[in-house]
Amino acid sequence: MSPAISLRGIRKSYGRNTALDGLDLDVGEGEFFCLLGPSGAGKTTTLKTVAGLEEPQSGTVSLDGADMTGVEPYDRGVAMCFESYALYPHRSAYDNLASPLRSPRHRLPAAEAHERIGAVADLLGIGALLDRPVGRLSNGQRQRVALGRVLVRPARAFLLDEPLSHLDAKLRQAMRAELKAIGAVRRTTTLYVTHDSVEALALGDRIGVIREGRIVQTGTREEIWHQPYDTFVARSFGRPRINLLPGTVTGHGTFLSADRFFEIPLSPPAVRSAAPGTPVQIGVRPRDLSLGPGPVELTGTVYITEVLGRATEVTVRLGGSTCRWSRRARTPPGCGPTLR
Amino acid sequence: MSPSLTGTGHGAASRGGGGPPARAVPHWRRGLRPYLLIVPALLLTGGILYPFGLGLYYTVFDFAASKPQPDMVGPENYRRIFTESSFWESARVTVLYAVGAAAVETVLGVGVALLLHGSTRVGRVLEKILILPLMIAPVIAAIMWKLMLQPSVGVINHLLEPFGMGGVQWTDTPAGALLSSIAVDVWIYTPFVAILALAGLRSLPASPFEAAAVDGAGWWFTFRKLTLPMLWPYVLVAVIFRFMDSLKVFDIIYALTEGGPGDSTVVLQIRAYLEAIRFQRYSFGISYMIVLWAVVYLVTMVLVRYLGKVQNRAAEVPK
Amino acid sequence: MKRRLLAVAADGALILYFVFALFPVAWMIILSLKPANELFSTYFSFTPTLDAYRTVLGAGSDEGVPFLRFFVNSLVVSLGAVGLSLVIGLPAAYAAARWRFRGSENLMFTLLSFRFAPELTVIIPLFVLYQKLGLFDSYVGMVWVLQLVTLPLIVWIMRSYFSDLSPELEQAALLDGYTRKQAFFKVALPLVGPGIAAVSLLAFIFAWNNFVFPLVLTSSEAQTVTVGALSFLGGDRPKYNLTAAAALVSVVPPLLLALTIQRYLVRGLSFGAVKS
Repeated sequence: MSPAISLRGIRKSYGRNTALDGLDLDVGEGEFFCLLGPSGAGKTTTLKTVAGLEEPQSGTVSLDGADMTGVEPYDRGVAMCFESYALYPHRSAYDNLASPLRSPRHRLPAAEAHERIGAVADLLGIGALLDRPVGRLSNGQRQRVALGRVLVRPARAFLLDEPLSHLDAKLRQAMRAELKAIGAVRRTTTLYVTHDSVEALALGDRIGVIREGRIVQTGTREEIWHQPYDTFVARSFGRPRINLLPGTVTGHGTFLSADRFFEIPLSPPAVRSAAPGTPVQIGVRPRDLSLGPGPVELTGTVYITEVLGRATEVTVRLGGSTCRWSRRARTPPGCGPTLR
Repeated sequence: MSPSLTGTGHGAASRGGGGPPARAVPHWRRGLRPYLLIVPALLLTGGILYPFGLGLYYTVFDFAASKPQPDMVGPENYRRIFTESSFWESARVTVLYAVGAAAVETVLGVGVALLLHGSTRVGRVLEKILILPLMIAPVIAAIMWKLMLQPSVGVINHLLEPFGMGGVQWTDTPAGALLSSIAVDVWIYTPFVAILALAGLRSLPASPFEAAAVDGAGWWFTFRKLTLPMLWPYVLVAVIFRFMDSLKVFDIIYALTEGGPGDSTVVLQIRAYLEAIRFQRYSFGISYMIVLWAVVYLVTMVLVRYLGKVQNRAAEVPK
Repeated sequence: MKRRLLAVAADGALILYFVFALFPVAWMIILSLKPANELFSTYFSFTPTLDAYRTVLGAGSDEGVPFLRFFVNSLVVSLGAVGLSLVIGLPAAYAAARWRFRGSENLMFTLLSFRFAPELTVIIPLFVLYQKLGLFDSYVGMVWVLQLVTLPLIVWIMRSYFSDLSPELEQAALLDGYTRKQAFFKVALPLVGPGIAAVSLLAFIFAWNNFVFPLVLTSSEAQTVTVGALSFLGGDRPKYNLTAAAALVSVVPPLLLALTIQRYLVRGLSFGAVKS
């Protein structure tokens, strides 16, 4: 079966700026796919290319296996939530939600439309705001209206561009949890763009990491987390960031830090991928470190300690490099002592 | 989660909302879209460019009412223009007029804008009627002033009489006629400069002024080092418009002095009008206009380029 | 104390300017109310009468100047010019705002050069051309030539309004299932509505106030108020009161319209170069 959304070799540039540089992407039927990347990586352009709002210079977009080249946005049957909301400022929240249901493509009888709009509005907690002109809504409320405009209508795919970014922290967390439970979202292929790795990990059935107009890696959250393709992907997930320590692979299957301060054993598959003497970086997630004896032990000096409520982040000096370590400890170690 | 939405959700059968199958629009037809939108405008523009081209074509003939079967004369018309003293006289008057009017309007307009910006109650009332002269047709404005400047029965001389200054021959001396014309121009267009300058003043960021106030900068320093440089792009737009428009002044002079006394206020457009319409020497009159057009065009290019530079520089000023 | 004094001086200077700006209009009102026999014998004290207005507006007055007809002519050609410019200029402005392409850049530049071109450059050839085509002294001829005034204004200002509008609004409409045409009419056009109204009024004012086109290209049938007002000054006995009345009557429409679009004037007057 062909993927619901498929992009092949998409190239799009604006004058001298290249937005998408041969991008390939497949999103399966009914899948919730998160596209994660820094700003300017080409996330929005990808969505707009799928929607038919941007025409790539080369490459093809297929939906359900059908080539979409030259197909107008209104004939593609996808719904998109814009980061800028793109709400019609001269109309009420209700009319904005009703807009797709009054269009020639998705027209519903007024009574039926009314019912659907009511249901979606209640779902998003904006039922009481429907009569207001969108100009009098807060950013968070507007964002929910924009999301609602996508959810009220049938679509072969939802394209969501940072749909939670303007909500306040508490609401964002609640919406993030609820979003995937929404029936329409559960059934519909969704391409979700975000710059927030937590959001991507929480929501995505699969995650794609995009940089400079190219997909760097796609995979499930476990694959992305444990086997990042490169340091960019590794650094994109997890706060505090993964520790990347430079060094070399030795002849007897260990990692020797660049300043020869410490040496740790490597797992056999890791050793097989690099010949002895190869300069490498070893990635250690701060959460995977712990205090006390273990299979691998490192000794360093506490440099900075930050108590951040639930967790404590400790920066430890290991010879010439520093290593961050996150722990749930209630009593953080003070500065200065040597840790084992 | 609302179960109702799950219930009324769209099954796989209605995915994509049904409707007709996707139709592809060929690439060339999509590319054509913007062109289709501007075609009518292009045609209409052509309808205006055509007479212009026709005029250009006429200039190499000696077409006149007295010579309906014209002969090709090559650059003769232009040669005559540049060798006739009346052209240079007209050019001199035109430049005097344009520089004089634009300069006075800029200073006065910026002054009025500054006063209106600083003023509170009085300014708010007066601002509403600021545009009045600007909305009056220039020719009507000139007629109004002509009535007032009439030497024997005009109201201006009547009002000046108590000061022992009555009987001024306003438009009956060469210098007086030019100055009177400029005065009418100033009357009409000072609000133009003032309105643009006021819009500029209102859009200036507040923080540099607050910083200057905290540093205890004086009014003059603030004005010269902050207000003026930041306001300049706005004022420059107004100056460019005013200078370019004054170069082709017609209405005011036609109604106020008709180019007189003698030829003293015959600016270039008036000269072309007299040649082409009064004396019906079409080719010669148009040649005058082509020369003026070329000058206006060149000056516009230079000024607009300068404006671009100024606006870029202003955009770089940290706000 | 010094601040107070400065503020008073500033207000004084302002009032002085506004006396200069308003006096001519006030004086025209006075002149227009004067009876013919007191025209040259008095200045400020006289028996006011509306005779001048009656004469000016009386159709086929004894003065032989059909001023009311000129008024109607002005109305017809100005409305016609604005209407034509809107129908033709709005799509062009929209295209120029949404697509960057050679044709639109050239069109925009040509239109801008119209704004700065000396009018007679085009009118003198048109004078010859119109005689041949039978467009001399006709509404059609005037509406055509007035495009030189109204079209550049409308296209330039409307492009700036359309550019201010996020294209994502129309994109959202496309994804809602509307066609491009519907997206334009249902979303883009209503949002620039105030801009269209303002620029139409401004274009109307400029068309109405134009003098050189009707002066050269009309004689009696299609002559407008700006040329008509001048005709009261002719003859051996200038009729100042009639001239003043005619001048005032002819400035009423533009002034009334101008008051309604004050907010939008800055962008209009500067061709979109300055936004407020």
